[in-house]
Amino acid sequence: MDLDFLYDGIVILDGAMGTVLQQRGLPPGGKPELLNFTDPDLLRSIYREYIEAGSRIICANTFGASAPKLAGTGRTVDEVVSAAVAIAKQAAAGTDVKVTLDMGPLGELLEPLGTLPFERAYAYFKEVAAAGERAGADLVSIETMTDLYEAKAALLAVKENTNLPVLVTMSFEQSGRTFTGCTIPSMARTLEGLGADAIGLNCSLGPDLLAPLLRELCENTRLPVIAKPNAGLPDPATGKYDMGPEDFVQALLPCLEAGVSIFGGCCGTSPDYIRALSKALEGRMPTPRVYHSAGFVCSAMTPCFLDGVRVIGERVNPTGKKRFQQALLEHDLDYILDMAVQQEDAGADILDVNVGHPGVDEAAMLPLVVKKIQSAVPLPLQLDSTNAGALEAALRVYNGKAAVNSVNGEQAVLDRVLPIVKKYGASVVGLCLDENGIPQTAEGRVAIARRILDAALDHGIPAEDVWIDCLTLTVSAQQEQAAETLKAVRMVREELGLQVVLGVSNISFGLPNRIAVTRSFLTQAMAAGLTLPIINPNQREIMDAVAAFKVLSGEDAGSRDYIARFAGAAPSPSAPAAGGSSLTLEDAIARGLEGDAGKLAREALKTQDELSLVERRLIPALDKVGADYEAGRAFLPQLLSSAQAAQAVFEVIKASIAQKGGAPVKKGRFVIATVKGDIHDIGKNIVRTVMENYGYDAVDLGRDVPPETILDTVREQNIPLVGLSALMTTTLPAMEDTIKLLRTLENPPVIFVGGAVVTPEYAARMGADHYAKDARQSVDIARKVFGA
Amino acid sequence: MKLDLSEPLRYLGVRGEPDPALSTQLSAAADRLTRSVTPRWLWRVFPVLHRDEGVVLEGAGLALPGGMARKMLAECSQAVLLACTLGAGFEALLRAEQARGMARAALLDACGSAWVEAGCDAAEEEIAARFPDLHLTDRFSPGYGDLPLELQKDICAVLDASRRLGVQVTDSLLMNPSKSVTAVIGLAHHPQPARIRGCGFCSLRETCQYRKEGKTCGS
Repeated sequence: MDLDFLYDGIVILDGAMGTVLQQRGLPPGGKPELLNFTDPDLLRSIYREYIEAGSRIICANTFGASAPKLAGTGRTVDEVVSAAVAIAKQAAAGTDVKVTLDMGPLGELLEPLGTLPFERAYAYFKEVAAAGERAGADLVSIETMTDLYEAKAALLAVKENTNLPVLVTMSFEQSGRTFTGCTIPSMARTLEGLGADAIGLNCSLGPDLLAPLLRELCENTRLPVIAKPNAGLPDPATGKYDMGPEDFVQALLPCLEAGVSIFGGCCGTSPDYIRALSKALEGRMPTPRVYHSAGFVCSAMTPCFLDGVRVIGERVNPTGKKRFQQALLEHDLDYILDMAVQQEDAGADILDVNVGHPGVDEAAMLPLVVKKIQSAVPLPLQLDSTNAGALEAALRVYNGKAAVNSVNGEQAVLDRVLPIVKKYGASVVGLCLDENGIPQTAEGRVAIARRILDAALDHGIPAEDVWIDCLTLTVSAQQEQAAETLKAVRMVREELGLQVVLGVSNISFGLPNRIAVTRSFLTQAMAAGLTLPIINPNQREIMDAVAAFKVLSGEDAGSRDYIARFAGAAPSPSAPAAGGSSLTLEDAIARGLEGDAGKLAREALKTQDELSLVERRLIPALDKVGADYEAGRAFLPQLLSSAQAAQAVFEVIKASIAQKGGAPVKKGRFVIATVKGDIHDIGKNIVRTVMENYGYDAVDLGRDVPPETILDTVREQNIPLVGLSALMTTTLPAMEDTIKLLRTLENPPVIFVGGAVVTPEYAARMGADHYAKDARQSVDIARKVFGA
Repeated sequence: MKLDLSEPLRYLGVRGEPDPALSTQLSAAADRLTRSVTPRWLWRVFPVLHRDEGVVLEGAGLALPGGMARKMLAECSQAVLLACTLGAGFEALLRAEQARGMARAALLDACGSAWVEAGCDAAEEEIAARFPDLHLTDRFSPGYGDLPLELQKDICAVLDASRRLGVQVTDSLLMNPSKSVTAVIGLAHHPQPARIRGCGFCSLRETCQYRKEGKTCGS
């Protein structure tokens, strides 16, 4: 469809449907989509009023026409969508008014907040979008989204399965965030990158409170911007919205000045509002806009503008790290998450994610790791792989605007990777090398950088999304190259104006006291124009150098961050010295001193083997805390602190074994899961943590787990012990079903159950072998099954 | 709004004076929570009709079956439906804390439970201020007494809580985000007695450690 009308002038949309229907008798909580069958005349008459009032685009009555929302209505998506689009088209017949397919949220929360996988959300939206195009909709409006991830699933579904233009609006709180924490720049730059045709804000607030947010939105996108505010806020005593048509329009006019060009109304508005709006905007033209062009990556919650030095953490990478390789091979995603969390705490701005290792299926693993990290770490990610399939799979499930590391000057690589970068709106790192290797001169590298930039521009990737890696070579091997690299950094910055990346640590390879060389090179490179150093943020001295540079460059105004970084940094004299004379490993575990427990364990391994450290020291220490807990002398937080200290000891043991290539210490495997229908899992996670720190190996199936999944896992891995958790009386039946199903096995596992509503009586009635009132009792049950 | 630290301690089963290390960690968790998460709420008033089949909220298309609602709203001509949540922000914070360690996560979780209740208290103050001539009953929730848990879904639908608050109710009647509460509060012309204090109204009454020891959490 010709999209010129979206760009050329002011476009008037329609107003509310839901609240208008409520005014005309639909009870609150009723399903408006069913009116497509029961009262099409009412819908047609409302559309005609909107068209008469000046609407150029009207929304088909399909806001809740997705499969999850229609469940239980006896209507299919196809039926509802085709009926709804037909009604709107009848109303628009004989005019040039366009009909848009309205797609609202699915009403189920996506992972990680809910249990709906991204791929399923995509499939639901695909069904609606395809039905809409078949029914003859002119365009698609994705509306009222509060989760950027859901908006992405919907947008991809429309783009990949229809040829329709698509408008996307989200709902923000006055705080400038959506319910799920999405920010305006994250929303704008992610959706533009993914190929939306216009974006905007709808619902939640009136035009007065929406105006500042719309202004921010206009600065963060080149696309036409849509405003569909509510008629103010509803009065809780009456349910009525507090703004009349004239006030609504007056409050909306400043948005025109800010650059908004597409206007409509959401809850509480009616044809009267649209009439007033059409009148006020008649003959007006959109205000020219100033786009804030900037290097940018983000997660939904964390926008990262590249207007200074931003640290890319390098630790999520198996190269040369045996423990990390083991975690990858064992699918131990928690270990990888831990690497990410540590770097966040150390002050990284972006995390590089690399899972390439022999024996690892990158195309399957990279998206899993991206989801895992994004479930708990809000930093933007740089996806690091040479495998185009892995990059596409990971970019697809990434929530926000990612970076891709990397392409180089080789034409085949550019042809393979740049279309994927463009499709998902990512930034891309270009390495200054090609099929002929690394040029030895700065000029040679800059020539390749220029070639990469041109190729990116040809693919429609803007210059601010192209980052150049000038390549750090090891100074002990090629001493003259350090200066060439610095020169290339300066040239790329000054001549091309692009972001510059360097993997800094490589400089000092093979030299003693590496950190001195690395740090000095880093400082010189930042002075030359390096903006994106890839470093280990856990090295304090290196991060200190970045902090100091930001003071000297003026980026850290008033040295505020630098001062905060060192506030209270003086070591406390009373802190017990690690490994000192008085503190024993047992004390460290009892007091939950993680760092000390780890150090003392390393110390102990000099005189003791791994197994005896576990059996003779770790477990007795944990038992003592457990006994105090039983007796009411210690409480849950202390029990868990001790478990964490024990975990630190286990990490030391695992690393030691991985280093030697030996078999891990494992005392028995158990399955643990929160049953089907139950989505809160902190209790289950507590039990798992404590059991793992007794050396039992958990197969954690997560939450909302169907009985069949548990059965299959037990059967395939021949697991002798299963722990089930349920939080609500409504999910006890699922627990019972799971137990019954497990009992059909020829060799059924021992089953223990727990959770807020479970009692010993229920447990017995459901056929469980044991009731565990807490994590501590779970350990006792495991001992019975596996022997002490 | 203030978070009373004795509440999370009670949820964690800590009896007596907590040791200083625990107190410090708890304050840190409470601090992290209250700095980054604010309870949000939504309420609406409906006229109450007293019918044979139970209490009906006019205009909401909603009946509150059972003796609990009948007794609580006996003297009320109107009732408030309330939903309050810590939102997805809390869930994100909790996932991040779990990655840093379950001890920190358990403290944060307990603080979250107290914080959403503090939100409900603040909402009650807002309601009381809006109706200075009326008296509020205790707030009571689906799952208390004989008020069916299923009402959770209806209350959220009536308040449009999914759209306006970001709160969903799953098919198994769990609220998501987890720290979310729905409640009913009656509005009457006479002062209302406290009716629902005590174990009879607590959904944990069958598993409560205090009760097993013949005590109550209030003592």
